[in-house]
Amino acid sequence: MAHIPDGVLSGPVLVAGGVLAAGGIALALRRLDEEEIPRTAILSAAFFAVSLFAVPVGPSSVHLLLGGLMGLILGSAIFPAIFVALLLQSVMFGFGGLTSLGVNTFNIALPGALVGMLLAPAIARASASRAAVLAGIGSALAVAGTGTLVAVSLALSSNDYAASAKVMIATYLPLMCIEGLVAGFCVSFVKKVKPELLAPVPAGA
Amino acid sequence: MRGCGLVGCLLACLAFSAPASAHRLRLFATVDEGALAGYAFFVGGGRAQGAEIVVTSSPGAEPTRLLTDQEGRFSWKPPAPATYHVVVSTGDGHVSEATVERSRFGGDEPVAASTQPAVSPTAPPRPDETALARLVEQKVDAAVARQLRPLLEAYGAAEARLRFNDIMGGIGMIVGLAGIALWGASRRRRNSGASS
Repeated sequence: MAHIPDGVLSGPVLVAGGVLAAGGIALALRRLDEEEIPRTAILSAAFFAVSLFAVPVGPSSVHLLLGGLMGLILGSAIFPAIFVALLLQSVMFGFGGLTSLGVNTFNIALPGALVGMLLAPAIARASASRAAVLAGIGSALAVAGTGTLVAVSLALSSNDYAASAKVMIATYLPLMCIEGLVAGFCVSFVKKVKPELLAPVPAGA
Repeated sequence: MRGCGLVGCLLACLAFSAPASAHRLRLFATVDEGALAGYAFFVGGGRAQGAEIVVTSSPGAEPTRLLTDQEGRFSWKPPAPATYHVVVSTGDGHVSEATVERSRFGGDEPVAASTQPAVSPTAPPRPDETALARLVEQKVDAAVARQLRPLLEAYGAAEARLRFNDIMGGIGMIVGLAGIALWGASRRRRNSGASS
């Protein structure tokens, strides 16, 4: 899954991932509004807790990523949110690794941020049910994006641990469906209860 | 570039100084009647099916490759007792490893000649002392391994368990970070307000 441990990826991939993640975090922190901090922290904590729990699926095991949902609500602030949660998971539980922290952050945060950028304006305008469908599709795409990035990181490292397409499809396809459902329910709920959460922040600021 | 290198070195140091840590995928390996056996499991439940197992005895030696079965199990009879390094990889970025020490195989050292006084000629004929001692040692090894295995398995599972306190601690740290950020932001606003 998206927590690639130490000693699997090659040096250039680790450095590239670290630089890209640092860039994303720096950009996001510069744009981070004071009022967004609690929201970012809450979703970071949610990701931290939820992605610890893995469920066996087929030959491997999967856990929720919430990338799409976080991207829709946080926008670019998904980068620091994911980074902090992954750092704590790595230090406290040994999930993922410290050297691969940058790559893992980038792999989860970038698809989420892109989905947020593309779909958040449409979801802010749409009705609750339409927003749920859009969010579901967006989340599934974010999961697919993360899966692709993980496979690419492994392939670029060209060692014994290259991803097997069969395992990737068997694990990420069910996850896409589940993530889509979870995000759809969350967005339709938020849309009814507190629609301003989904309003694009730059417009409100 | 120099900054990147420095950060890279720091991260590498951190990674190497970190204590033996749990991974999402874990490998349980033990010695079962002379065979290297065990299973690959995921923290939180589930076994790694069809995962590739690579066994090496020494760096550079030709590795042995196996696949786990439907229950994540593997078993391999090594040609000779040695310290074996076992790595499991599921093919989607999950990797875990374990080392089985040579001493775990046991029973292969030549048994020292018996120093017991010679048996009296009237006693019934007895099997060769050395062979007997070796047989007893093998049986004891097997029995101890059988009794110890559940304990080792339970220890592996307990070590990998997610603890509620740790999860709450992590969430608490995130909340604390948010608090620090908010405090910094409010200070900055107050300062800029005072200067304007």
